[in-house]
Amino acid sequence: MNLLNALVESAAWPTLRAGLHVGFFLVLLYFLKRLFDLRGATGLKHLPRAKRSLALPLVLLVGVLGSVLAYQATWQLTGLFRPQFVAFMQSHDRRQFNPAHRIQRGRILDHRGEVLAASVDHRGQVVRVYPSGPAFAHVVGYSHPRFGAAGIEALANVHLNGGAPEDLKDWGELGRQLVTQAKQPRGRDLMLTVDGELQRLAVDLLGPRPGAVVLLRPSDGAIRVLASTPAYDPNRISAALFRGADPALPLLNRATQGLYPPGSTYKVITAAQALNAGFSGTLYCPADGYTTSARYRKIRDQAYYSAREAGRSWGGYGNLDLATALAESSNVFFAQLGVQHGHDAFRRTAEQLQIGRKISLYEGPFGSWAMATGRVPSIHDSDRYGLAQISIGQGAILVTPAHMALITAAVANRGVAMRPRLVASDPPQALARFLPEGSANRLAKMMRKVVTDGTGRGIDVPGLAIAGKTGTAQNPQGPAHSWFIGFAPAERPALAVAVLVEHAGFGSKAAAPIARDLFLRARELGELP
Amino acid sequence: MSTAGTGSTIELSWGLRRPERQLLLLILLAIALGFLMMLGSGRAAGRALSGADLLPFLTYGASLLLLHGLWVLARFRGDQVLPALVALLAGLGLLAQYRMGLLTGAEASHAARLALPAGVLLMGAIAVVGAEGRYGRLVAGRYAIWGWAGLSVLLLAVLLLTGHRFRGGVYAAGFVTPSELLKVTMVLFVAGFIDQQVKALKDLGTGLPIPPWRALLPLAGLWAALTVLLLIQRDLGMLIILSTALIAMLALGTGRLAYLIYGATAAAALGYLLLRLFAHGQGRLRAWQAPFEDPTGGSWQILQGLSGMFAGGLWGEGFGRGNPEYTPIAQSDFIYAVLGEELGFAGCVLVVALFLVLILRGLEIAYRTRSSFGSLLAAGLTTVIAVQTFLNIGGVTKSIPLTGVTLPFVSHGGSSLLTAFASVGLLLAISAGEPAKGRSRTHAPAKTAPSGRPRRGAPQPPPQRR
Repeated sequence: MNLLNALVESAAWPTLRAGLHVGFFLVLLYFLKRLFDLRGATGLKHLPRAKRSLALPLVLLVGVLGSVLAYQATWQLTGLFRPQFVAFMQSHDRRQFNPAHRIQRGRILDHRGEVLAASVDHRGQVVRVYPSGPAFAHVVGYSHPRFGAAGIEALANVHLNGGAPEDLKDWGELGRQLVTQAKQPRGRDLMLTVDGELQRLAVDLLGPRPGAVVLLRPSDGAIRVLASTPAYDPNRISAALFRGADPALPLLNRATQGLYPPGSTYKVITAAQALNAGFSGTLYCPADGYTTSARYRKIRDQAYYSAREAGRSWGGYGNLDLATALAESSNVFFAQLGVQHGHDAFRRTAEQLQIGRKISLYEGPFGSWAMATGRVPSIHDSDRYGLAQISIGQGAILVTPAHMALITAAVANRGVAMRPRLVASDPPQALARFLPEGSANRLAKMMRKVVTDGTGRGIDVPGLAIAGKTGTAQNPQGPAHSWFIGFAPAERPALAVAVLVEHAGFGSKAAAPIARDLFLRARELGELP
Repeated sequence: MSTAGTGSTIELSWGLRRPERQLLLLILLAIALGFLMMLGSGRAAGRALSGADLLPFLTYGASLLLLHGLWVLARFRGDQVLPALVALLAGLGLLAQYRMGLLTGAEASHAARLALPAGVLLMGAIAVVGAEGRYGRLVAGRYAIWGWAGLSVLLLAVLLLTGHRFRGGVYAAGFVTPSELLKVTMVLFVAGFIDQQVKALKDLGTGLPIPPWRALLPLAGLWAALTVLLLIQRDLGMLIILSTALIAMLALGTGRLAYLIYGATAAAALGYLLLRLFAHGQGRLRAWQAPFEDPTGGSWQILQGLSGMFAGGLWGEGFGRGNPEYTPIAQSDFIYAVLGEELGFAGCVLVVALFLVLILRGLEIAYRTRSSFGSLLAAGLTTVIAVQTFLNIGGVTKSIPLTGVTLPFVSHGGSSLLTAFASVGLLLAISAGEPAKGRSRTHAPAKTAPSGRPRRGAPQPPPQRR
């Protein structure tokens, strides 16, 4: 006894204990070997031969007990693959040795390798930190011992915890951790397509105003910016956040879930619809507006209102072609154009552009993240005034900023929309053809004209050919929403963008400069040629 | 074999049982290492050690050595593998129970300390007393089997009348569960019954097999009473164990697979009915199917057990280093989770392998026993151990719903442990073979069968039927 006491208190005890552990297993293995070796001597020779074969029970038993062991292994050895189990252990298991408490979750990185989320040791506990704070709250989400997880943190939970190995190397690492009983199992990093610099710039440019910015690469669908303000700080999650008391709705991802009237940016879609139908030539646009029936208020152009405010009279645009009408953003022109092509054409276009569907940004083994696209109203064929309003992006149609960015990207990519993606390792994939190549190319030229000669000329900068469309969306909640959609450079588009600033007035004043600043910074970063 | 009490036969017996001796010594070494590991870890955690801490190991070792000596002296020639397997499993159980503080300290009782050595010696005694075919006297005469049936029902009835409920089950005073004894008494009854009625039971008619109702009627009546009594006690595990043994014995004894099919159908129908009628079962089923719906309630125990096993990983923390006390009532039903936590997945594979060999050995004895009663009894006892093992390990690993049965030889619990040892005692008695009738003296096995088996052409005596 005294000897044992002395041994335990000596420095050699940990080694000795491990040795005892190994010795214990070795003796038991040797026991099994002896059991096998001695089968001749223990063969019950005084009994007759067996009447039946033991093969069937052997197979049956090995099958049943083997399955139980295999199932047990899915908890005991690969429990990391079960996110609910890991969550249970992290919150309810008091065993200090449980590796679940010390999982070094993989980092979440931007496409340049900048760390967006990482696990660090803090007084013996592993906590998650988000160096960019609120800027990435709506993309990366949070992982919190008490409040669970959201965003990519939730969807890629298994991957980040080190489960779901993809190749032989991952399996090898997992096996090594199992055999050596690593007490700090390391998860695997996940690289996103987003760009930390541009995302933070977008959030800064939006400032305190609620809004959203989506910037993506038309050629492969990689999302570089997915910003929504206001956001919350994932480093400081509290119960108050989830009580829904904040009227600014910091939990709402305005980029992918916020539904807004598109305003004049929708004219790009009306123009595409006309180009598809082979429209060319001009439409006469009277100065005092257009309506479908005398009972309804006339739809008028912005120039009419500005002239009236200044006390001048305005002669109207007269005959307008499509390119000029888009550059001037003529309501009278597009209202007439939409009504001319009719309800069926509108419905076909909405269907072709997938407005009203859900488009997935990331598919994980435990759920997917889909963005909303918009809401198409069902208007009766006799409601021509409603159609006229929709054609200029007002009335009952609603879209999300993310989908406007996707449609813009399709225009920039010769009509093909690439599936938007957030995870760098997801392969680029075509989502659908939104419009014919011919229409897309002509539309792209017209959008360039908007910035050189039209409503967007305020953001034309030398050396960078930005194409786009401004929007000013009337809404019942307050002042108009400010929109800008666009891409750059116009000839070989590398980035497409949609910017929305809630209740900020003219698109050319609030939203368009944000897009310009983003493009300029992107060029400095090498994202634009 | 009563007259040859000379030194030479004891010498022969000492030589014959050499493998058992070797295996037992290896086991003692392994368990000793385990004890050192655990005592050291306890000391490292600040617990003072005293000589009394070695007592469980010493009594365990002494009982094994005593067992071996007893068998050598009695010239017992029964199986040598089963005792080794059982001793090792019980040794692992001893370590786990000691680890849970059941053998020392305030909670320990004398009964808990004595259960293991008592079980070992009981096994040895039963094996020796029942050897040479004497176990057949358990069902001598036409009506002895009904004595076993009556005893089984009486045990259940008395338990129901005098026992108290705890955690959904019924226990006699001091948490003794006399119903454990049914695992022996009911198997004795069924084996005897089938042995008596085998002709009638084999007669399933031609064409579509129709069960022989007249012959089965007493069995069916008894089973109905048993089912009702066990359900009132909510002892579903026992019902499953006994019914599986019944079906297996019917099929083995008669050689008719139709009994398997009928049995499976009846079990499915009964299972469905039970789920419909008992909220208790539904709760367990929910905890099994959707453990994360109520993680801190109904699924707490199983999830804590799994958490412990996850913490144990592949090799385990080592004895004395884990925290199995966080799993509620781990020492009885969840002892497998304790082993999983402290010995890891590797230890679990080892335990399962031991049970696998144990079950196969039991079946081999059943298949190689000439007497049909002995064969049936061995098959029945083995099935009981097999089903109980599967229900326990399957339940703890969440492969199947929890049924609340113990792990044979490993779990804490006097009645369960003694019953399991008694079962193996009977198996060993059966493995010792039938009375030799003057043949064995001239027919030393080692000489006639150098290949390890009787010669193919050797005349075999006709199977004995009583």
